[in-house]
This record gives sequence, C-alpha cells and structure tokens, in this order.
Amino acid sequence: MTLKLGRQAFADDASLMMAIVNRTPDSFYDKGATWAEDSAFDRVAQVVDEGAEIVDIGGIKAAPGVEIDAAEEISRVGSFVGRVRSAYPSLVISVDTWRAEVGRAVCSEGADLLNDAWGGADPELVDVAAEFDAAIICTHTGGVTPRTRPHRIEYADVVAAAIADTTAYAERALAAGVSRDSIVIDPAHDFGKNTAHSLEVTRRLGEMVDTGWPVLVSLSNKDFVGESLDLPVGERLIGTLAATAFCAQAGARIYRVHEVVETRQVVDMVATIMGSRQPARVTRGLA
Amino acid sequence: MTPAPSSGWNAVVVPSTPLMIAAGGTADPLAGVRALALDSVRWLVASSPDRIQVLCSPADPANVARGVTTPLGERVARSLLSAAGFDREIVVSTSESESPVSTGVLIVGDGSARRGEKAPGHLDDRAFTFDSTIESALRACDADTLATLSVDLGAELLAAGVPAFRALGALAGGAEHTCEMTYSGDPLGVQYWVARWQCAS
Repeated sequence: MTLKLGRQAFADDASLMMAIVNRTPDSFYDKGATWAEDSAFDRVAQVVDEGAEIVDIGGIKAAPGVEIDAAEEISRVGSFVGRVRSAYPSLVISVDTWRAEVGRAVCSEGADLLNDAWGGADPELVDVAAEFDAAIICTHTGGVTPRTRPHRIEYADVVAAAIADTTAYAERALAAGVSRDSIVIDPAHDFGKNTAHSLEVTRRLGEMVDTGWPVLVSLSNKDFVGESLDLPVGERLIGTLAATAFCAQAGARIYRVHEVVETRQVVDMVATIMGSRQPARVTRGLA
Repeated sequence: MTPAPSSGWNAVVVPSTPLMIAAGGTADPLAGVRALALDSVRWLVASSPDRIQVLCSPADPANVARGVTTPLGERVARSLLSAAGFDREIVVSTSESESPVSTGVLIVGDGSARRGEKAPGHLDDRAFTFDSTIESALRACDADTLATLSVDLGAELLAAGVPAFRALGALAGGAEHTCEMTYSGDPLGVQYWVARWQCAS
C-alpha cells in the first residue's frame, strides 16, 4: 500500500529510515547529546545527509523519570519542529508524543506524522491527526500507562494481542478521519513487553505484515537486544542490525533508528537478496 | 539448405558480454557501449530485413556441462536483434567454415579478458599485441589475418571472440568491405569492439 506521510508519499516497495532525534536530557541511548536545540538541529542535518526520509523528534524519554507536562513538552519540540520544517521543506517530520495537545502544537508547526509510542493513551490524538491530515503510528503497549516499565506482564499470545490492539487502533484512526494510507502499525518492542515478548513479535512479525497495514519497527539498541546478547547500551548495534534483517525479510516498511547508514545497508542488502531491489552495480563474472 | 545471398553482405561486430543483454544492476557501466552496439545492429537490420546470420563461438563446454547449452553469443545476438525490432529469420553459425547465407552478418565476439590485474583473467601482457592484431584486421577488413588467428593463443588469452572472428575471415574471402569502428575499449578488463563492415560493391 502506498504510504502518505503528510506532505510525502512513498511507493509500496520503499523502505524508510526514521531517524531518532531527541530533545531530551536523559534518553537512554544518547544521554542528552542532542538536548541543546542546536545539537538536535545538527543531528537532523546529519541524518538527512545520511539519507533518512523521516526524523522522529521526541521531547520525553520513554522510561520513567521526571514528569514532563504538556507545556514543557511543547516548549521542547514545538518551535523546534517549526525550525526543522523551515530548513527542510520536504522532509517528513514525525513527533514522538502520546498527547493530543502536543500533537496539535507540532502539527501547527509542520509535523507530518504523530508517533504515538504509548498505544492510544490519549484517545483524542487520532482526531488531531485527522484534523491536520497527518499520519499516525499505532503501537501496541498492552494497555500500560505511559512511561512505565513492564512488570510481570503476561500475554496468552503477545502477537495476537499486538495485532488485535494495533489494528483496532488503526480502525479507530480511520473512523476519526485519518487517511487509510496514513496509518502505520508498530508492535512496539519492549513497550509493555519483556524480552521473550519482544523476541516473539520479532519472530512472528510476518503475521503483523499480513494484516495489510504498513509495519514500523523500533528495535534500535533496545533492552531485548541487550538481554539477548548480554550487552550494555552502546554495544548493541550488531544485535540491532540482526533483528533489523529479520524484520526486513518479514516485510517491515519503516525502521526507527539511531544509526541510519548501517540500518539502510542492512535493509537494502536484505531487499537485494530477496530480489525486490536490484544490486547497485553488477559486472563481476560478466565482463 | 539456406540459399546464398544474391548480393554482397554487410557485417557488424559487437561484444559478447552478458552485459549487452541487461545491466543487472542500478548502475549500468556498459550503457554507452550497448547503445553503440544497438545502433550498429539497427544499421545491419536495415540492410538485411529478412534474415540475419549470426557468427559466434560455440557454448562453453563447461557451461554446457552445467546445463546451459545455448551459446552466449547467440543470446546476445537475439537480444540486440530483438531490441532493434528484428523479428525475422536468424541463422546461427558456430563453426569456422561458413558461407554467407544472408546480406546481414552479426559477429558476437570480443578480445582478451586478460588486460589488467583486475581483469577476469588477470594480466597477460601478450593480450595487448594480440588484440591489436585483431583490431587492425577488423579496421582493414583483412580477412586473411582474421581467418588465421591463433586458436590456442586466443584460448590462453581468454579471447572468446577468436572462433567468431576466424569465421568472419573465412566468410569474407575475396569480398570487398570498408570498416567503420565506433567503439574500442576495455572498461572492465576485456577488449570490446563495435564495428561495421559495409560491402564495397
């Protein structure tokens, strides 16, 4: 299905890199490296140069921590979205937020896509997406409260739950008026999931792809990779890329990443192996 | 028995690489060479609209053992002829003692594949002299030199076109031609030519 992400449309065989840009002092991976607005802006320039089609700007780290109210979140990301929009008129700008109030503010500044990492915690977010003809990411969290860690969470079938919840969310967005080709689902690795759950949604990602909704995966340097390989943050790139390859083969469309170049190479290589992408240059053995 | 042509014949030489059929990748390093080859094939088809005689090397026995029995040169010829819009009779000859059966002859062959350290067959300094001999003979429409090219040296130098060039030499005999060579180069370590022989009579 063709993807329409705000001002851009993408063919149904396109794989998209969504680069993470944190306007936070405390996110787990970059630890505040782009907390200063100019640093975040430099990060945007870098990932655009690296070929990212989408930037995902976030003002609140996912893990528990100091409470950030809507006004503070808007102060972190609102005008910054406007600045990025001015500098990059055609770039797809996503904002990582669960709050409708924040969604409205960033769409007014030119955001194309609302990445609701917390699974519809604010029921009015879909209305904002519809109002601004923006796209929306419908994630699965198992119904947990935003910014909480899973604790002894259990599923009879985590994949069935992820499919049921994300497709129900997608239908709710559709009913609210969001364009069908602007709705994406995301199993949300590690959100409301322990490592076994995240591994299972990876292993069975094809079942989510089979729903027909475009699938986003957010794997980058997460704890399920760390626990799988017993590696700390900062040493999880190879594991992340292995999971990326697996999801690429299953048919994921969007990859939310810290490392754009490496992920792009993996996704392109998988597509080339699968025959959906041509090699860049072929002369070996043929001259 | 296919009848001999009632008038003189024209000929075209094109490379025998699979990259004449398709690029295979996003980048297309032989796009220019393929376009020149196609131009010449169109010219040939214009003078022989009903039948084209193809001279090429036999299928590599090692490839035949792997299940590929159609000579590469034949596949290249059919691809270029199809691209040129030719849909009539194609007579393929892989032996070295042919008679002209058409007013249009398409020779699919190239020179040595040992023209550099990164060439398919690595570097053999003898490749340059050998290829120069072929090129001079093609430019001069020198049938005798082509007909007597060394099969053994050609094989050593991975010059896959030698059997086809020998067949061209045998075919040419005393016929008078003039040559226009539109390409000579070895961008991938293999010597390619695109050339037209026009009947002088």
